[in-house]
Amino acid sequence: MRVDTGHVSMTAATTIELPFGMSPGADAKPDERALVVAAQRGSNDAFAQLVRLHQRRAYAVCRAIVLTHEDAEDAVQEGFLHAFKALDRFLPDQPFGAWLYRIMANASLDLVRRRKVRDADELPEGVPMPFRDPGESDELRRRLNEALTKLTDRQRSVIVLHDVEGFTHGEIGEMLGIPEGTARSDLHHARASLRRILGDVRSDL
Amino acid sequence: MSDIRFGLFPDDDDVVRGLRAIYAAPAGDAYWNELQSRVMARVADVELGWWTELDRWARPALAAAAVLLLSAGVAMFRARQSEAEIAADAMLSSPAVPVSSAIRPAYQDDQGARLRFLFGR
Repeated sequence: MRVDTGHVSMTAATTIELPFGMSPGADAKPDERALVVAAQRGSNDAFAQLVRLHQRRAYAVCRAIVLTHEDAEDAVQEGFLHAFKALDRFLPDQPFGAWLYRIMANASLDLVRRRKVRDADELPEGVPMPFRDPGESDELRRRLNEALTKLTDRQRSVIVLHDVEGFTHGEIGEMLGIPEGTARSDLHHARASLRRILGDVRSDL
Repeated sequence: MSDIRFGLFPDDDDVVRGLRAIYAAPAGDAYWNELQSRVMARVADVELGWWTELDRWARPALAAAAVLLLSAGVAMFRARQSEAEIAADAMLSSPAVPVSSAIRPAYQDDQGARLRFLFGR
């Protein structure tokens, strides 16, 4: 999804950049809170800074839930849009990241549901949905991709959110709307399934 | 059969390494700058909608309506209360009337009695 960006201005001088995969730490919180309050008062620049601060982590959350990079991008945009619309209902004393990532997870789950309805209309019943990744080249990734298609959507999301992004079981439960114990159990089953599937692939060679 | 990256049961580290490779986010600031711009462009589009203006005024309008209703209610209550007080004051402050005239029906005043007597009822 591409949108013309010609009329948007942002203040580059006040940009706050974090390395990839790093969530905003304790030092960033006062700034973040100020940004949230400013955004709630109508400052688009402040909201742009919040986007910059959280977009990588937001992308990671969405990417763990949807199947493709393109869907993750769409979900990120939808998520930020929802967050912008709901900003006045957010209490600045709460952690903004947790609130935002819940919104991102919901946007991603919505997208997955919509895709399933669309694919059910378009594909004949029983045809497995391929996992497309044009950038994939090596054998490890190919096998893992195949194995990932054998997991349920939720198992795949849980294992990626936990093992790749480092979210806790509780955070994952909150994001996906499932109890913490279920997230823990999903992770266990996902790992076991991947090990078994990858073992099967190996023994077939 | 040459590529044996996993053992028969690959350990979690292998899986995690593979997952990180698959789910790696795009690198490079240009990508993230552009994504941020796209997000903000959509935000700007939302802001241009008339419903946003409506939404912005919805809460103040509701609050104003609530205040108006409350004020009207208080005003009505006070008006009734003051009417009742005036009536009570009027009753209490009116001069004493003889019991006979106070209990006599209105049509039995002196002039009416005289006329009825003259015309033989």
